[in-house]
Amino acid sequence: MVLEVRNLSVTYQAEGAPVRALQEISFSLKEGDTLGIIGESGSGKTTLGLALMGLIGGKDRVEGNAYFRGTEFLSFSDKGKKALRWKHIAMVFQNSLEVLNPVLNIGEQVGEPLKKHLYLKGKELEARVEELFQLVGLDPQWKEAFPHQLSGGMRQRVLIAMALSCKPELLLVDEPTTSLDPVSRKEMIELLGRLQQEYGFTLVVISHDLSCISRLTSRLLALYGGRVVEEGLTEELLEDPFHPYSRGLINSSPHYFAYKDLWGIPGEPPTGQEAGCSFHSRCSQALESCREGVPALQQVCCERRVACHRGGIVTILEASGLKKEYRLKKRVLQAVNGVDLYIKEGEVAALVGETGSGKSTVAQMLGRLMKPTAGDITFRGEKFYNGVTRQENGIQIVMQDPFSSTSHRLTVEQVLREPLDINKIGTSQERSSRVREALEQVQLPWGTDFLKRFCFELSGGQRQRVAIARALVMKPALLLADEITSMLDPSTQANLLRLLKGLQNSKGFAMLFITHDLELARKVADRVMVMKQGEIVETGSSRRLFTDPCCCHTKELIDAAFGEHQHVHKSHHHPHTHEHVHKHKTQH
Amino acid sequence: MEYAITFMVIITLNFMLPRMMPGDPFLHLSGEGGEEVWAFTAEQRQYFIEYYGLDRPLPEQYARYLTGLIQGDMGVSYYYKDQVSSIILRRLPWTLMIVAGATLLSLLLGTVLGSFSAFHRESWKDKSLYLLMIVFSEIPAFLLGIVLLIIFAAGMGLFPLSGAMRHFANYTGWEHVKNVLHHAALPVITLSLARVGGIYLLVRNTFTTVMGKDYIRTARAKGLTEKRIRYYHALRNALLPLVTRVALQMGAMVGGAVLVENVFAYPGLGLLMRQAVFVRDYPLLQGIFLVLAFGVLGANLLADLLYRVLDPRTRGQETA
Repeated sequence: MVLEVRNLSVTYQAEGAPVRALQEISFSLKEGDTLGIIGESGSGKTTLGLALMGLIGGKDRVEGNAYFRGTEFLSFSDKGKKALRWKHIAMVFQNSLEVLNPVLNIGEQVGEPLKKHLYLKGKELEARVEELFQLVGLDPQWKEAFPHQLSGGMRQRVLIAMALSCKPELLLVDEPTTSLDPVSRKEMIELLGRLQQEYGFTLVVISHDLSCISRLTSRLLALYGGRVVEEGLTEELLEDPFHPYSRGLINSSPHYFAYKDLWGIPGEPPTGQEAGCSFHSRCSQALESCREGVPALQQVCCERRVACHRGGIVTILEASGLKKEYRLKKRVLQAVNGVDLYIKEGEVAALVGETGSGKSTVAQMLGRLMKPTAGDITFRGEKFYNGVTRQENGIQIVMQDPFSSTSHRLTVEQVLREPLDINKIGTSQERSSRVREALEQVQLPWGTDFLKRFCFELSGGQRQRVAIARALVMKPALLLADEITSMLDPSTQANLLRLLKGLQNSKGFAMLFITHDLELARKVADRVMVMKQGEIVETGSSRRLFTDPCCCHTKELIDAAFGEHQHVHKSHHHPHTHEHVHKHKTQH
Repeated sequence: MEYAITFMVIITLNFMLPRMMPGDPFLHLSGEGGEEVWAFTAEQRQYFIEYYGLDRPLPEQYARYLTGLIQGDMGVSYYYKDQVSSIILRRLPWTLMIVAGATLLSLLLGTVLGSFSAFHRESWKDKSLYLLMIVFSEIPAFLLGIVLLIIFAAGMGLFPLSGAMRHFANYTGWEHVKNVLHHAALPVITLSLARVGGIYLLVRNTFTTVMGKDYIRTARAKGLTEKRIRYYHALRNALLPLVTRVALQMGAMVGGAVLVENVFAYPGLGLLMRQAVFVRDYPLLQGIFLVLAFGVLGANLLADLLYRVLDPRTRGQETA
């Protein structure tokens, strides 16, 4: 073990109340391991780096143990820590204007640790400094330069050269790509990857940048409020996060999957005063019981540990062997032929496929509008029963055609009140206020004159929003949206989709988004399922599925939808083959 | 360029100021000693006024003054009847010595105490030192001088009461140096004590700020010794504002020196200036003002050059 951290806690002694920046962090790293640390600002990422460098002291308290090659070093004296620093554990600090001393030239700053730890002098020192500059791709001439004369990218390189000067066994890198332009970013990731391979040091990367994390690390920790909330293999965790917070981080990352719309985690970062699970106030699946006790980090499957009272993101709906046969006069038509699917709490799953592939049939069976010929559906772990669509926290469906899904002859108020009246939810007053609330959420007026209007008076976009409001009145845990925008013009579609996704993000309900439009699916979905002839042929995170599809049918669909874009994209890279590309396109 | 303009402004002011004072040199040529009290007759006055060219229009006087300056001629003192430049040159070293001595001493004391306070921030050591410094920096230099004079010179007899050296004693070599230092001690200490508070506060503040900077954390992470972090990485950054401060304070320092010289009857430019003001000795006054202004300006120039050496960021602007 190069590094083993056990129950590491850091408390900053701020004026007034102490701030717990890190709470009982444990992890271990073997020789050559690479670990990523992600989390919002203030989650304790940088504190972890500083604590390991022994740079937190004075009034601030560091508790717990950390072992470097089996030796506890947090309890070392200042002298002992100084001997360990840089020679064995080095850190690439977050790039800022003042991270290097403004009055000393960079050659001297890079060489300083060599003098101190390796006792190099004169020519030898000079040569080693030049070697380090070359290693990170900087012209050694720059060593006479002062920090203010460098660009951000060059400064980052200097920081790396400085950190590697004594060939440390453990390298901590804090935000290596922030404030860099795309080209420098890419170069920096490649440089760090190459150096890690060459020198084989153990690497810890602290970053917001998930694409950097996924390139450089094999394991990943997600920090929230100073605690590890999820731990796993980088690739698996990013593909299929188990903690709602990790999923939120992935959804808010612009670098990781560029096509998806950005949606941040709702709510404010933790103050440290929360009772129970610190994430519960922002969580899509929080229960009352989440306020009791801090969840422990528990193994959920191999290589994955999650700190969640509910054991990670819960599967809200599960269907297996779902079949639907239509009996025509002579033959049996298999509309849905053995579909297994699941939808997790708070996620947007898209069901895509050509028309006639059975998508809507699946939606109607899940919405209890149609009985399956065979197969089981469980909702929240219970077998399907009539109540699921008739209760709060149940399933609601919004259909394709806004004109036939709500009755012409009813007023807006009647449409919206109907489910509450029928299912006897709340008092009359509560019902009225919930109607208004739902209208407000879908950005429709909620004055009496609008409530008294008949549905036939409304436009398509308005009626579809009324249909969504009707579903929201029931406060669903799962919303089935079956081609809800296909009959709307692009502008109305864009407004409606952003509205719905925004509601989904803030209310935290799960959504099954059924569409034949891959562009839309790519924008909103966390996970995508592809259907063909009544079967699901491929499923995966939208990033994986759209960038690296396995099934040939998926490839076909993607090529049909995005093929043209990809060609245009290529022509940017090879301007001289432009003509050729054009020919290629016309052949298509 | 800025210095040239400043210099012109100073020369002009210098020329105008004595002439704007009430009174006239020849009313006072009689001296204040008391023994030879005699007044000029009207003719005599007229003769002197013509003789020194004071009847000419101001622009002409100004032009004469300027041409004289360019030739290195500051004119002749009305009172001492001697070349102004040679009078000033005789007195200048004494003032230079106490100003330089006080600057160095207050810098040294301020930096040492200021960094000490910064490293022990918020402890009782820092707090009591802080209080002491505030008290000292609020006492005017001349008052402090009088108190010191009474206690150490008049009371305990440890230091001479006045003058720059012992007259009529034929000291040689080391003895002479000792004697001069003995005489300069109280004026220098007075001036230093009056100035050290500002430097102390500045050093205490900048050091505290600098020690919290990212690059100090970087240096610490590199496993450097505390000594190197403080006195190499931090000190060089903390000294930057100090250089500017000392240069800016030079004016106040010289002003303080004038007062202190009068308290200790120290034969520098300050004492000379008081006498010159008394007798409305225009050329001498102009000469003293000029030399003092020149000195302050020179200190500022020096600070600018020094800053360029210490801070590479200002070096870059030259070529840009």
